[in-house]
Amino acid sequence: MKSLIRTFMKRHTLAALVLLVSVTAATAQDPRIQMAHLDHLAAKANETVDVSVDERLIKLAAKVFNDKDVDEAAIKKLVMGLKGIYVKSFEFDADNIFSNADVDTIRTQLKAPSWSRLVNVTSKREGTVEVYVSLVGEDINGLTVLSIEPRELTVVNIVGPVDLEKLAQLEGNLGIPELGIRGNKKKNDDEK
Amino acid sequence: MKHKATRVFLLFVIVVAVATSVFGKDDDFNSVVKLIEQYYNVKHQGIPFLARAGMKVVGAAAKVKGGQMKRLAELGSVKVAMFENQEFAGDFLKFRATLNNNLKDIWMPLVQTISTEEDEQSYIFVKEKGDKFNVLIVNLSPREGPVVQATLSSKNLALLLKDPEGTGRAISEEATIFDN
Repeated sequence: MKSLIRTFMKRHTLAALVLLVSVTAATAQDPRIQMAHLDHLAAKANETVDVSVDERLIKLAAKVFNDKDVDEAAIKKLVMGLKGIYVKSFEFDADNIFSNADVDTIRTQLKAPSWSRLVNVTSKREGTVEVYVSLVGEDINGLTVLSIEPRELTVVNIVGPVDLEKLAQLEGNLGIPELGIRGNKKKNDDEK
Repeated sequence: MKHKATRVFLLFVIVVAVATSVFGKDDDFNSVVKLIEQYYNVKHQGIPFLARAGMKVVGAAAKVKGGQMKRLAELGSVKVAMFENQEFAGDFLKFRATLNNNLKDIWMPLVQTISTEEDEQSYIFVKEKGDKFNVLIVNLSPREGPVVQATLSSKNLALLLKDPEGTGRAISEEATIFDN
């Protein structure tokens, strides 16, 4: 009887472990990051902008953007395949209103192996701009930009196949702020 | 007898269908206005009053990104409720959460802006309506607070998606322009 119970327990423990590992793996690969931890900053900020373009809206966008309009056709091509665009931006009237702990609620989600930080990225913005990409094999399935200025904090999270070039083209559209982000590919090439 | 029962059943189905279409889809505008009234303890001015004041509900031209004058809302599709000289004192984060929670099943949030400096809140939601699209815009500021629902063509939805804040403002202005 005891051995029967042991076998039963072993099988169920194993099943639970397999389930846990699959759930963890699935969660780790989801490039949608949680930004709700930052919501409390809205009470301290001068201005808060919250953009949420989910997959349903992206499908709508793909449907309504006109192929004959050069701009719209370009955006349509860029958003095809994306699953979401999420932006949170806070502007403050004094320095250091938000803390490192606030920024870390985002950074902790952008850890390896799922996420890699891109180096050699420049931005027209003052302060620090960190760009992270989520990779599945060699394919990018998400991108996050963290722009930290003394009086401004912006997080842009794009879910789906996107790179810096695409991001640069999407800036100013669909609520994505003008970040002026450019990858210094030329510099890298020169260094070789 | 059998025919009568069938007719009664059909009538019942039609009544339910009509009621669902009226209260299930298009009544979100009224429920949002009521939500604002209850949350902030304010009262809106209805369209008849505003119409008397010389308000053009539709037909006004608005300036949108690109500098062209365009008509954005489909003719006859605009619903407006205006809150004037009212105080929207309360936790705006809680209000935002309540608003989103009420609309989340049918409407898709696009852009939400809160300005504590200007004491303003702005919300834009979108949903499909057949081959057209509905947009619901809530702008609350200390002086005035228009709530606007309008139907957009796919061309104008594209404008809204490209420039949510600019086009949203233009739709709201278009719906609330006075003659004076």
